[in-house]
Amino acid sequence: MTGLLILLLFLVAGNLIQAQFTLPVPGSIIGMLLLLFFLVLRGRTPSSLTDISKTLSPLLPLFIIPVSVGIVTQKALLEENGVALLVILAVSLIPGALVCAFIMNWKRKS
Amino acid sequence: MFSQLLQMPLFWATLTIAAFIIGQHLYRLLGNSAFLPPILTGIILVSAVLEATGVPFETYMEGGQYLHLMLGPVVVMLAVPLYQFIHAMKKEWLRISLAITLGSGTTVGLAVILADIWIGDLAVTATMATKSVTTPVAVTLSEQLGGISALASAFVIITGVFGALIIPPLLKTARMDSPAAMGLSLGVCAHAVGTSRAIELGTQQAAYSAMAMTLTATLHALALPWLV
Repeated sequence: MTGLLILLLFLVAGNLIQAQFTLPVPGSIIGMLLLLFFLVLRGRTPSSLTDISKTLSPLLPLFIIPVSVGIVTQKALLEENGVALLVILAVSLIPGALVCAFIMNWKRKS
Repeated sequence: MFSQLLQMPLFWATLTIAAFIIGQHLYRLLGNSAFLPPILTGIILVSAVLEATGVPFETYMEGGQYLHLMLGPVVVMLAVPLYQFIHAMKKEWLRISLAITLGSGTTVGLAVILADIWIGDLAVTATMATKSVTTPVAVTLSEQLGGISALASAFVIITGVFGALIIPPLLKTARMDSPAAMGLSLGVCAHAVGTSRAIELGTQQAAYSAMAMTLTATLHALALPWLV
């Protein structure tokens, strides 16, 4: 439970900073960076955080289902542009993957 | 009695959990195939029930919001793997940073341009910008960018399934299928679904993919709000 409390505290801090300075970056991302900074300063991950991470990670998709179900409200858009969207998503992958792989292989010793 | 059930927030939360568990079982039944992630099954099942009963999304969300609430802590939690990856990438940090920045920039840039030309809807284009970011971050980010969060989730999942399908044969044909290149490409372009495909390919691919996914999400979450 300590791990969850740590996550919530950093989330609250992130949201506060976001609201205070009206930053365009989401509060949860700011919270994540603060936690990362905390971990770097501390030099290791507290076991409570490793534990909560092991507990929550498998459940992650569950937390995304509700907002994703909102797709039922987008039927008009999908009927009109569904095919175009699928083509865009598929086509745009190819150069991206090639650029990534090229850089990772370029003049590699081993 | 049935109509009372459909108005009950608890029912919708319960149904969502049930749909997710069915998705997990189906996923295992198909040998952990990257092509039917549990989240996809879950979304399809819940959407089908909403369609069949005619219950509006707002009513569903009165129950769904309790699960949705956990998205915040889960995004903060990404700092834990990120911290480990920062250690792991020290040796090759320049190469990895370049591959992630340019690779994800290429795929997202192209998608945004195509969406702008072809569809020309501002909200759709803004949503398209989050397509290479892992779902919890994409959903959060799209709201911030004036996109449509439900659409963001759909884009990300579809990209993931496509990427898991296209990238391995593509890189094999291009003779660029070293474990590092394969893992990184899958993580950058196909995030979580790509990572589950990378796990099938090998431990090295899986490690690179998970790292690339987390780093891409962080990079985009920080950069996109200023660019859009």
